[in-house]
Amino acid sequence: MGLLSILRKLKSAPDQEVRILLLGLDNAGKTTLLKQLASEDITHITPTQGFNIKSVQAQGFKLNVWDIGGQRKIRPYWRNYFENTDILIYVIDSADRKRFEETGQELAELVDEEKLSGVPVLIFANKQDLLTAAPAAEIAEGLNLHTIRDRVWQIQSCSALTGEGVSDGMNWVCRNVNAKKK
Amino acid sequence: MIIHLWRYFYTNIFRFWLKWIVRLVTGKCELQRICNGTRKNAERTLRIEYSLESSKYKSLQNAVNATEDEVEKYVAFIIEEKKIKIQKDIGFASKLQLCLLQISGFRKLCLAVEDLRKQVYNSDSKEHEEQLMELWNLLMPHEKLKARITKQWCDIGFQGDDPKTDFRGMGMLGLTNLLYFSKHYPHEARQILARSNHPKLGYSYAIVGINLTEMAYCLLTKGLLKSHFYNSVPGTPQLNDFHQFYCYLTYEFDKFWFEEKPESIMYFNQYREKFHEKVKRQLLDYNVVLALKNEK
Repeated sequence: MGLLSILRKLKSAPDQEVRILLLGLDNAGKTTLLKQLASEDITHITPTQGFNIKSVQAQGFKLNVWDIGGQRKIRPYWRNYFENTDILIYVIDSADRKRFEETGQELAELVDEEKLSGVPVLIFANKQDLLTAAPAAEIAEGLNLHTIRDRVWQIQSCSALTGEGVSDGMNWVCRNVNAKKK
Repeated sequence: MIIHLWRYFYTNIFRFWLKWIVRLVTGKCELQRICNGTRKNAERTLRIEYSLESSKYKSLQNAVNATEDEVEKYVAFIIEEKKIKIQKDIGFASKLQLCLLQISGFRKLCLAVEDLRKQVYNSDSKEHEEQLMELWNLLMPHEKLKARITKQWCDIGFQGDDPKTDFRGMGMLGLTNLLYFSKHYPHEARQILARSNHPKLGYSYAIVGINLTEMAYCLLTKGLLKSHFYNSVPGTPQLNDFHQFYCYLTYEFDKFWFEEKPESIMYFNQYREKFHEKVKRQLLDYNVVLALKNEK
């Protein structure tokens, strides 16, 4: 599913501009996901220093997807991008079990952020193409996702590399873009 | 639309007739005119390349794909095919040969760089691990690495405690570039590393380096480095010549970054793009040579 088709589905949204924020640890696959959505080449990706943004515009309606670097050193800057976020997409490397605790902690902190309160969260359990990837259910349990009660959320297994599961997740995004609890 | 039409007619019809008329008047074919009319620099090789590529003869088009060993054969073949009287144009054969060597060398270099890029960093490979350790030792000669997996890697600008995931799409090309710069310009590398720890303008040395590998790689694969290599390498460019260009980028990017004084590291991609555009503009010049000169 490309950014344009997401944009078309979103057009029922009352706002003129939809802002999607991609966060997660370094090497989770955020940039690959962004490029996959924008139908760009994903074979030359390098670590994100700072952020990447992709915008699509049609008939006065705009979709912005922000992909912010996940390196610990720049995580303090994440908060600069929270304002007016409609959907948070949190990406997890499902094969990097050693860092489940770290990623869970970061997610918990995001959910506690005032500027993100009520913002729907889609968690992509990425890298399912790897044999060692943990299934989404296991991650959901490990991260105690059921304790998130103040917003709608969803966990979706996917592979940003092959594209599998990405559309399902983005369909959920389209359905919930207005579900932000004020 | 009009421009497209003109271009179509020009490349398909007018160019041929124009060349035919000029050949009648001067008695020389286009390849000869290029060899005689241009100085010995990228302009000559680029124009020869274009002329061969747009030739109506398949056999001449193929000359740009010749391997190094086939170059001589192709020169003889072109002389015969174009009925060139070499007695009247003594320098022609050697000039053409040099151009073909550069053209074939550039294409070979692209393949070699691609091979290295496709090699994924593998922690099970002794060779890869040794190179990684060597990088540490060159950049941090006074500090010992406490373990293979350690937060210390962040000190030279990797993202986390294991650099292996940072090479990503650039594979071993990224590590080779970083290592080459540290080995051949140790003073500059350590100086830039020290500057990259600047409290306000700092950036992550290693991953910015990998980003610059990607820049060098893109410039190469898009053919934008042709002029640079045709001017700086008289025969066939080697991998080291590519690494040298990378060194130039690293050195110049650091200078550019501190001159521009970005608000924070979050603006990296905007400034990277600005720098990229600057380099691309420089590469448009036929006389361009982008090199760091003070090699130790």
